[in-house]
Amino acid sequence: MTATEPEAAYPISQAGRAAERSRLRRVRGGLGTFIRRSPLSAFWGCIAAAIIVMAIAAPALVPYEPLKSDFRAMTKPPSERHYFGTDQIGRDVLSRVIYGSRASLTVALGAVLFGTTLGALWGLASGYFGGRFDITSQRVIEFLQSFPDLILAMAIAMALGTGFGTVIVAIAITRIPFGGRVIRAVVLSLKEMSFVEAARGLGASHLRIMARHILPQCVAPYLILATTHLGVAIIIEAALGFLGVGIPPPTPTWGNMLADSLNAGLVPPWWLVLFPGLAITITVLAFNLLGDGIRDILDPRLRGVVTTQR
Amino acid sequence: MYSYIIRRLVFGALTVVGVSIIVFMVLRILPGDPLVAIFGPEGFTKLSEAERARYMAELGLSDPLVMQYLAWVGDIARGNFGRSFFRAESVGEMILRRGPLTAEIAILSVILSWLVGIPVAIVSALRPNSLGDNVSRFLSILFLAIPGFWLGMLIVLAALFLFGYRAPLTGPSLLTDPWGNLQVVIGPAVVLGLGQAAYIARMARSSLLEVIREDYVRTARAKGLSRRPVITFHALPNALLPVVTLSGVLLGFVLAGSIPVERAFGTPGLGYAMFTAVSERDVFVMQNLVFLYSVVFVLLNILVDLTIAWLDPRIRYR
Repeated sequence: MTATEPEAAYPISQAGRAAERSRLRRVRGGLGTFIRRSPLSAFWGCIAAAIIVMAIAAPALVPYEPLKSDFRAMTKPPSERHYFGTDQIGRDVLSRVIYGSRASLTVALGAVLFGTTLGALWGLASGYFGGRFDITSQRVIEFLQSFPDLILAMAIAMALGTGFGTVIVAIAITRIPFGGRVIRAVVLSLKEMSFVEAARGLGASHLRIMARHILPQCVAPYLILATTHLGVAIIIEAALGFLGVGIPPPTPTWGNMLADSLNAGLVPPWWLVLFPGLAITITVLAFNLLGDGIRDILDPRLRGVVTTQR
Repeated sequence: MYSYIIRRLVFGALTVVGVSIIVFMVLRILPGDPLVAIFGPEGFTKLSEAERARYMAELGLSDPLVMQYLAWVGDIARGNFGRSFFRAESVGEMILRRGPLTAEIAILSVILSWLVGIPVAIVSALRPNSLGDNVSRFLSILFLAIPGFWLGMLIVLAALFLFGYRAPLTGPSLLTDPWGNLQVVIGPAVVLGLGQAAYIARMARSSLLEVIREDYVRTARAKGLSRRPVITFHALPNALLPVVTLSGVLLGFVLAGSIPVERAFGTPGLGYAMFTAVSERDVFVMQNLVFLYSVVFVLLNILVDLTIAWLDPRIRYR
């Protein structure tokens, strides 16, 4: 996740070479502005990128197999052989934390890709068409928002049975109303603008107006929302794992590791608690600060809109 | 005002109905046989066809879905929350026994969040981009990222290692043993309170910064009032309106957050009961608790909306 993405996400048309070059300059310039305007966010963006690389390259990075038990080293505190110590059946905590990033990021990415996007498209349609469709959509979204998000995710995950796909679906559904609300608000204000009216006057179809004129304007709020939701999704995933309705146990996830630590005896050994939680915190912090930075650059006016919606 | 209250209540009732339908859909209709959920996949295959039919009939699961839904709503309306498969105590009794503890945690955490969040926001907003502002902003972003249950586990561990202290495992009532009660409640309340305080500080800061720029604040300054009374008596009340709304939204954060946080602390509240219901795959208890939580959430938000309307005439007369 580098800072170039917001720019790259604009749909690229069959523009001429000059346009292409100016876009390239904009991307590079955008990256420069990003670093200059908010060095902190750029720094945390790098951390987020590093975490993503860590997740992809996990098999090459881990010192031990994350699932292999070493019965000669059970519940050992951090040492030179095991930097983060070992758990109660002798699995290396460092390796498990590294592998845990895979589960967290996959789930978060999946949930945002399905949930936030679906919500955003729904909000786009409901804001654009208005009328009865809009009113019904608003009611449904309100019903969905009447559930505290973790509780809804728990209920769905429990009903569907545990698994990778279930967790993604469960978290995605909790993200839909937020995407819907934010994008609908943006679309409502865009709809009245003269460029939309002009397009309509030229006889453009609804689909064309939505896709070519309104959608590009929604990219910035969507990106900001999506980065924030990545963080929220990671925390929900960890909580689900912690409560035992996440991805089922042998798979190392940060939430599962924290839940496991409570089974390690009367008092959980500190290294089993500290490191997975630290991993969650750093990852979420990185995505949140990256999102803040993207927001400041792309659209400072959105400050209030998105943050209050979590 | 009255028409506003009535409108809000009607919408609230509608929302509760919608919520009940969603709960029913999620926990009864979604793929997955309730018997599988109860007996586990292995236990389920061991049941004979006749046994399955008998259990289904006993649980009322072979009726048409609409009838099942009406039966469930009727039970709830009569105050019958059913019972767990695994316990003698009825769910209604359990809610009465465990509910107060969670309610205490929630109330205490909201109070704490205001006590921490608002002063931090004021300090931040008075000198934007100063060192204090930057530190408090970073801290609030940090606390948005820390999962509450992990902070809870760390606090439990730290208390144990540093002071050899462990909170009592039973939850004595506030009335009979206030000290023991406080020891159980304070940990989760602090964790959840700090989590909310982070949101509140962020919101209050930006809202205060906006209000400070308004004309009436400048007028108050221009007529010679000093900074402090202008902030506390003129700017703050208006700046706090969106914070009240946010606090209502955050109640969902508290209700949901109390589940993993109570597990982390081992607090015997309703959140822990929810965790037990989930780990035992107790569909019916879960269904009723999820419904209860969301109804509480809806009702509290109506209360918040009415408070806002009471505080802010602009909304009342719209």
